[in-house]
Amino acid sequence: MTTRPPKIGRDFLRPDAPAKAAGVEKYAVDHYGENLLWAGVRRAGVPHGLIRRVDAAAARSLPGVRAVLTGGDVPGTNRQGIVHKDQPVLCDAKVRYAGDPVALVLAADRETLRRALALIEVDIAPLPGVFTIDDALNHDAPRLHEDHPGGNALLQATIEAGDGAKALAECDVVVTETFTVPIQAHAFLETENGIARREEDGRIVIIVSTQAPFRDRWEVSHALGLPMDGIRVIAPYLGGGFGGKDGATVQCLLALAAMHADGRWVKMWWDREESFQAGYKRHAARLHYHLGAKADGTLHALHCRVYYDTGAYAHLGGEVMALGMEHAGGPYRIPHTRIEGWCLYTNNPVAGAMRGFGVMQVSFAFESMMDILAARLRLDPLEIRRKNALRVGDRNSAGVLMTSSTGIGACLDAIADHPLWKDRAVWKAAAGPNKRRGVGLAAVFNAMGYGRGLPDTAVAKLEITPTGRFVVYSGVADMGQGNATAFVQIAGAALNQEEGMIDLVQPDTDRTLPSGSAAASRTTYTYGNALIRACQDMRRRILGRASMLLLVDRLEDLGLLPGRVRHPATGREIPLAMLAATLTTPERFCVYQYLMPVVPDPPATGKAFKIGFPHLLFSYGCHLALVEADELTGETTVRDYLAVTEAGRILNPQTSVQQVQGAIAQGIGYALHEDLQVEGGIVQTDDLGKYIIPTALDLPDIRAVFAQAYEETGPFGMKGLGEVASNGPLPAIANALADAGAARIFRSPLTPERVLASLQQGPGM
Amino acid sequence: MRKVFLPRDMAELWSAMADEPAARVYAGGTDLLVAMRAGTVVAPALICLERLAELQGVREEGEEIWLGAATTHAALLSNPLVGRHLPLLVQALRTLGSPPIRNMGTIGGNICTASPAGDTLPPLYVLAAEVELQSPGGRRRLPLRDFIAGPGQTRLETGEILTGVRVRKPVDANCHRFEKIGQRQALACCIVSMAALLTVTPAGVVASIRLAWGSVGPTVMEAPAAEAALTGSFMTRENLHRAAVFVRQAVAPIDDIRASAAYRREVAGNLLLRLLPG
Ligand SMILES: Cc1cc2nc3c(=O)[nH]c(=O)nc-3n(C[C@H](O)[C@H](O)[C@H](O)COP(=O)(O)OP(=O)(O)OC[C@H]3O[C@@H](n4cnc5c(N)ncnc54)[C@H](O)[C@@H]3O)c2cc1C
Repeated sequence: MTTRPPKIGRDFLRPDAPAKAAGVEKYAVDHYGENLLWAGVRRAGVPHGLIRRVDAAAARSLPGVRAVLTGGDVPGTNRQGIVHKDQPVLCDAKVRYAGDPVALVLAADRETLRRALALIEVDIAPLPGVFTIDDALNHDAPRLHEDHPGGNALLQATIEAGDGAKALAECDVVVTETFTVPIQAHAFLETENGIARREEDGRIVIIVSTQAPFRDRWEVSHALGLPMDGIRVIAPYLGGGFGGKDGATVQCLLALAAMHADGRWVKMWWDREESFQAGYKRHAARLHYHLGAKADGTLHALHCRVYYDTGAYAHLGGEVMALGMEHAGGPYRIPHTRIEGWCLYTNNPVAGAMRGFGVMQVSFAFESMMDILAARLRLDPLEIRRKNALRVGDRNSAGVLMTSSTGIGACLDAIADHPLWKDRAVWKAAAGPNKRRGVGLAAVFNAMGYGRGLPDTAVAKLEITPTGRFVVYSGVADMGQGNATAFVQIAGAALNQEEGMIDLVQPDTDRTLPSGSAAASRTTYTYGNALIRACQDMRRRILGRASMLLLVDRLEDLGLLPGRVRHPATGREIPLAMLAATLTTPERFCVYQYLMPVVPDPPATGKAFKIGFPHLLFSYGCHLALVEADELTGETTVRDYLAVTEAGRILNPQTSVQQVQGAIAQGIGYALHEDLQVEGGIVQTDDLGKYIIPTALDLPDIRAVFAQAYEETGPFGMKGLGEVASNGPLPAIANALADAGAARIFRSPLTPERVLASLQQGPGM
Repeated sequence: MRKVFLPRDMAELWSAMADEPAARVYAGGTDLLVAMRAGTVVAPALICLERLAELQGVREEGEEIWLGAATTHAALLSNPLVGRHLPLLVQALRTLGSPPIRNMGTIGGNICTASPAGDTLPPLYVLAAEVELQSPGGRRRLPLRDFIAGPGQTRLETGEILTGVRVRKPVDANCHRFEKIGQRQALACCIVSMAALLTVTPAGVVASIRLAWGSVGPTVMEAPAAEAALTGSFMTRENLHRAAVFVRQAVAPIDDIRASAAYRREVAGNLLLRLLPG
C-alpha cells in the first residue's frame, strides 16, 4: 500500500487485490448462513408449449423438502424485465424456452433439492418452435408473446441519415455481403447465485451476484408485489459479470423462496450447465451490408439490415440492437446511411447484455467491409480507414454530430507508426512450412452511457468518520472491471489523502445510493463525476470547519493535507481526527448526484427507440492482429496483437491495460472458439468442455497502448473503456486471415474447419 | 453417502472388491467423477487405486519399459526413462488436459476409459503396447489393440484391474511424432490426432513406419495401406500426399459438436505432411 495520496495517471494497485489473492474476499457465492435452505428451479426442458399440469405431490412428500412453488404461488405481477415486463418468475401458462422456470423447490440440502426437482412431473403440450431468424420473420410462425403488437419482432427500427440508401446509386463502387455471428456466453467464473432471508420486520434481504442492485429491488418489488423499501439488495464484488448479471437471474426466485422459508437463509446457486441453459446470452445475429464509396475510397453510402435473435424474452434486446445499429457504420464519416434492424423473439435462450452490447456483431461486418472495399479499390486498408475516420465536427453514421473527444484518427496514426505494422511484410514472409501469415486491422468504437431517454446518473456518497477517515459508498457494482479501485484513487487524489485512510463500501441499497448498473462503460465516468464533486464539497466542509478552529478568515489560505489541515502561512495544523470529532452526523456526509450529458439536438431518426439512442460519448480503438494459419489443419494462431485505445485520459494505466487485455481475450474467444450451439431450442454446448473459451495458451501477449485525449466532461478527463476493445478481435483476425490468402469468412467463429476450407478455396474478395 | 475405499496393498484391494462387487475402481477420477456428475455412471461405492505401490512408477526391464497403471501423466512426463525412450508418449502427454488434469489423471485411467480421443492410445498402439491385467485368480497379458473393444469398452473382466502397460523400446526409430488438433491449445478434447514412429535412412528412405490416429473412428485407427505405401519410399511431399489418400480411406470418423466427419477425414490425411522434415 502506498503511503502517499494516489496520483491520477499513475498505476494504482487494486485495493481489493490482496483480499482476493488471499481468498478472503467474500463474493456472493461465499455467503451461506446457518440453518440454510437450498432453492432450485425445475426448468421446462421443452422450448415452447402450454403448461397442462405441474404435479409436485411426490416432490412435496420427500423428507427434507420445505416447499414447492409454481406459477400460481407468485404474488404480484409474476413478471420481470428491464424494459418490457414479459418474463415470468415462474411460468404460469406458457413456456417460451427450455430454460423457463416452472417450479421452485426449497429443500434442506442440495441432494434433496436435486431429487425433489427430478420428482416434479411437468406436463407441457408442445407448440411449434421458432428457432431461427428466418422462422421468426415468417408471418405464419407461432407467436411467442400473443399480445405483443409487433408479432415476433420485439423491435423493428430504422436509422437514416443524409439521403439514405438512395445514395448508393451515386457510388463508384458498392460491396455487398452477409455476415453471421453465433451466440456467445459470458462464462463467468462465479455462476448466477445469491442468498436471501426474510428478516423479523418482514423485510427481504438479498445478497446476490448482480450488476444492478437498485434495479433488482425494483424488479423484485414489481414481480412479487412487495414494497420497495421492504427489499434490501447487497452486491459484493462479483466473480465476473460481463453483462450477464445485468437483469434478474436469481433475485426474484430467491425473494419468493425467502417468503416461504420462515426467516431462514435460502441459497440458490446455478451450476455451470444451468448457467449455460438459463443464463442470458449475447445475441446471435445476421447482418446484410451494402457499402458504397467513391473511387478514391471516400465512403459515401451505407445500407444495412441487421437481425438480432433475442430469444424468448425482451430483456435488453431492443436496446442491444439499438446500440448495434448506432455503431453499424463504424467510426467513420458516411454521409448517407440507412440502417434497418429487427430484434426477434425466438424459442432460444434469452439474449441480453454482454460486453460490447450489440456492437461486437456489427463490428465484424463493417470492419470486414472496409477491407473488402479497400481490396476492391486497391487501397491500403489503413489508409482507407484514415481517410474516413471520424473527427470532431463530423456526423457519424447515425447522423450525430461529434462534439467531444474523437480519437480514432490518433489510434490509426499510432498503428501506422508501430513496427508491427511497418515491418509486417518481413513478418509475413517468415511463415514456416505449411503455414500462412496475415496481418489484419480493425477500427472500432463503443458508446459510453445509457444514451438519450434513460438518464445516466449516479449519486455519490462520501463520509468523513468521527476519527477522520473517509468512506466512499459505491452505488455501482464492481465485477472485476476495477471501478472500486478507481473510486478510491479518485477520492484519494481529490481529497489529497492516502489510500489507507479511505474505505469503500460495496453497493447495498440500504447504505449506498442509486447509481445505475455496472454497464455501458459508464461506471467510473458517471459515479466518478459524482464522487469528484462530493469530494469538493467535503473539502470545503473540512476547510470550513478548520477555518473556525484555526481562526483563518479565508478557505484559500488553508490546505488539505494527508490526515490534516494546514495553514501554511503560520504552519499551524489540525489533524482530521480532531476536526472530524467536532462534526455532527449530517455534516460528516456529502452526497452529490451527477447526470451524464446527452446529445443536445438528436437527429430526427431512430424514432422507434424509446430509450438509449443516440449517444454523445464514444471510446475508440484500432487493433492489429498478426495471425498464422495452418494449411494442413486450418488452426489459427494469433501470434501478436496490438491495441491502441482512445478513452480520454488514462487514470490508472494498470487497470486500463487489464480491461483492454481482458476484452481482447474475450474477443479472441468470440473470434476463434466460442459458439453456444442450440438445436431445437436445447443448448448443446452446456459445459466448459463443449463451450470453448480460450486458455492462457490460446492468447498472444497483448500489447495495449493508449492514444490519450482529454474528455472535457469526464472525471479527470477519462472515458469508459470496459467494452471498446472487445469489438476488435473478430474483424481484425478475419481480416488477417484474408490477408493470409484465405477466402474471406463471413460466419464466425473462425474454426479450424472453416479456415481450412477457406485456405483451400484461396484468395477472393 | 457413498463408501470410498483406499486400499494400501493388493490384499486390501481384493477384499474391498469382494465386499463391494458393484463398486467402481478409479485412479485419478478425472473421467469417472465427471461421468458420475453427469449421471452416466452410477457407483454405489468407490475403490481408489492410487495408493497401490504395485500400480505405480516406471521400470526398465531389458528391452521393455513398464508403466504402472496408476502413474499420473505428470509423473510420466517427469520420468527420465519415459523421456529417454518414449518421446512419442511424452509429446502426447504434453497435450493431455492441463497441469491439474495431468497431476490427477493416470495412464491406466486413460486406457480403461477407452475413448477414441484418449491421447495416450495412438502412441501406445504404434508402440505395440501390451496391457497387464490382474485379478485374485491371476494375471494375464493382452495386446492393447485386443484389450480395447470399442468406444468406452475394454475386455476387462469383473474383478480384474489393469496393473500396467508394457512397451518395447523403439530403439530403431529416429522420428517420433505426435500431432493433435483440438478446439484450443489446452484442455482440449482431441478432434483428430496422429502418432507416428519411423525409421528413416540417412538417404531419406522410410525403412519402417507405424501410424495410428485418434478420434477418427470407434477406436484408434490404423492404415496399413498408408504404411505400406510409404515403406521403402522417400519422405517427399508427393509420397506423403499419396499415402494420405489411403489414410482417408482407412479412417471412419463421425460428425459431432466439435467437427465434421469430412474435416476429420481430411486432416487425418493432411497430418502425414507434418512428417516432412524442416
Ligand atoms: C478437464 C479435463 C480435460 C481432459 N483432457 C484430456 C485430454 O486432453 N486427453 C485425454 O486423453 N483425456 C483427457 N481427459 C480425460 C482424463 O483426464 C484422462 O482419460 C485420464 O487419463 C483418466 O485417468 P484417471 O486416472 O483420472 O481415470 P479415472 O477417472 O480414475 O478412471 C477412468 C476409468 O478407468 C477405470 N480405471 C482407472 N484405472 C483403472 C485400473 N488401473 N484398472 C481398471 N480400471 C481402471 C475407472 O473405473 C474408470 O472407468 C480430460 C479430463 C478432464 C476432466
